[in-house]
Amino acid sequence: MLRTTRTAALSAILLIPLVISAPAARQPQAPTQPAASYTYRGTVHAVNAPTGSLDLVTGVGMSLRLVHLTAGPAVRSSAAAPTAGLRMTDLKPGDVVRVECRRTNAGLVVDRIEKLEAPAR
Amino acid sequence: MIHRRVAAALFLLALGCEKPVKPGDPLPGLTAEELARFNRGKEVFDSVFTPHTGLGPLFNSTSCGECHEDPVAGGTGDEVEVHATAFKGGMCDPLVQEGGPVIQLHTTPALKAKLGIDREPFPPSANGRASRTTPVVFARGLLDLVPDSAILAYADSEDKNHDGVHGRPNRFVDGRIGRFGRKALVPTLAEFNAGAFVAEQGITNPAQPTEENIGGKPIPPGVDSTPDPEISQELLDLTDDFVRFLAGPTPTKLDRDGRRGRDLFSKIGCTGCHIPTLRTGASPILALNRREFAAYTDLLLHDMGPDLADICLGLAGPADFRTEPLLGLRDIQHFLHDGRAATLDQAIELHGGEGVGARERFKALPAADRAAVVAFLKSL
Repeated sequence: MLRTTRTAALSAILLIPLVISAPAARQPQAPTQPAASYTYRGTVHAVNAPTGSLDLVTGVGMSLRLVHLTAGPAVRSSAAAPTAGLRMTDLKPGDVVRVECRRTNAGLVVDRIEKLEAPAR
Repeated sequence: MIHRRVAAALFLLALGCEKPVKPGDPLPGLTAEELARFNRGKEVFDSVFTPHTGLGPLFNSTSCGECHEDPVAGGTGDEVEVHATAFKGGMCDPLVQEGGPVIQLHTTPALKAKLGIDREPFPPSANGRASRTTPVVFARGLLDLVPDSAILAYADSEDKNHDGVHGRPNRFVDGRIGRFGRKALVPTLAEFNAGAFVAEQGITNPAQPTEENIGGKPIPPGVDSTPDPEISQELLDLTDDFVRFLAGPTPTKLDRDGRRGRDLFSKIGCTGCHIPTLRTGASPILALNRREFAAYTDLLLHDMGPDLADICLGLAGPADFRTEPLLGLRDIQHFLHDGRAATLDQAIELHGGEGVGARERFKALPAADRAAVVAFLKSL
C-alpha cells in the first residue's frame, strides 16, 4: 500500500510540468522546420514569365549546372511591383542575378530576384 | 670594416647563387606545415580514381597527374580534350542542358553497358567546337592572388591608347571577374580545381556535389553507386594547396642572344599583352604575400582573329582568348590553346586579331633576331 502511494505521488510530481505546460486546446502546429532556403547567383539562361519558369546557369569552375526554378507569388508577372527586387517580367537571358528561393515539393520556388553588379575582389 | 665588406660580398654571392626553382618545385619560403600540405596534396593530385572510388561515369582522365605530368606533376601533357558551346546573337550558351561546355571523352564500363556509348555525345546545338591541350599549372597560386584592380588597370577595351590592343576582362556566370582557363572564365583557383575534379574525372566534391548529366540526360540508375560527394573537403583542400604552392620555374640563364631576344620581345610589342611581371595582393601565406613574379600575361581577353576562333565562354566570343601566361615554355612541345603550333615561331605567326601588329614586327625581324626571341621564350 505504502509502495503504491509512493509511486502515485512520484508520478504526480513528474507529470506536473507536463500538465501545466500543455496547451489549453489543441491548436494547428506551426512548422517547426522552416523550408530550406537557397541563394543562387548565376546567369539567366531562359525565362518564361507567363508560366513562371526560370532557368539559371550556375556552377563551380568549368563544371556548370542549369538550375530550374519556379516563380513564387512575390515575383510573378501578375504581382504588384515588389518593394524590393524584380519580377520575372524584368528578366531576360544573359542577365546576371541573385535569386532567393526555397525548396518545396514542387521544386525550387523563387521569392526574390535582384540583378547583380559585378563585384570586384 | 673588412669583416663588413666580406659579409656584404658573401650576402651578394648568396643572392646570386639562390637555388633555381625547377618545374614542379614548391614556392620558396613555405613553412614546414605548408610544405607538408604541398606533399600530401601531390599524392592526391597523382592518385588514380576508379569507378569504385567515384570515377565517372563521364571523364577525361583518371587522375589530375595523368594529364599534368610532363616533365613533372603540374606540368603539361599530350591529352587533348573537347569543349562545345553555341554563340547566337552575340550571346554565349555553354550548352549545360546538352552536357557542355566540357564534352568528356571516356565513360565507365557501367555507363557503356547501359547506354552503349564510350564518350559523351557532342551537343547537337553546338556551333563551336574547341580542342584544349593540357596547360602547365605552375604559379597558379600567384596568379590567383593578383587583385582584380590590377587586372582592370591593364584593360583598355576601347583601345584609348591606339596600340591596336584592347584587352578586357571576362566574367563568370555570377558576374565576378574571371582569370583561369583559356577563356578566363573562372574567378578563383579553388573553384577551378573543384570544377576540374568533376568535369575532368567525374569526382564530385563538397564544392560541386552533383555529377554532370550525360548529353543533357540524367545518369541511368545503377551506373554511379558511389555516394556524393566522392572526395572529402580535406582531400579537395590538399589538392588545392599542391597546385596553389607550385612555383613558377626560374628562367634559365640567358646568354647574349637570349638577352637580346628578351629586349626584342618587348620592343616588338609582345609585352603589350604578355605583361612580364605581376604582383600578388595580401595573403596570410608569406610565400604568396605581395610577391612580384614572372607571369607574362595580363589575364585579359584579346581578339585573336578568326583563324584561331572556336568556342565562346561567358563574355568571351569565339575569337577571344586570355593572354596565355608564358610559364614552363621550355618543356612544352605543342603551343597555343589547341596545340596546333609545333614551334614557338609558328605560335607567334599564328597570332591574329590584336596580335597582328606584334606578329608582323616579329616576321620583319632578321632571322637571327627571330631566333633570339625564341631563345628567350625557351628560357621560361
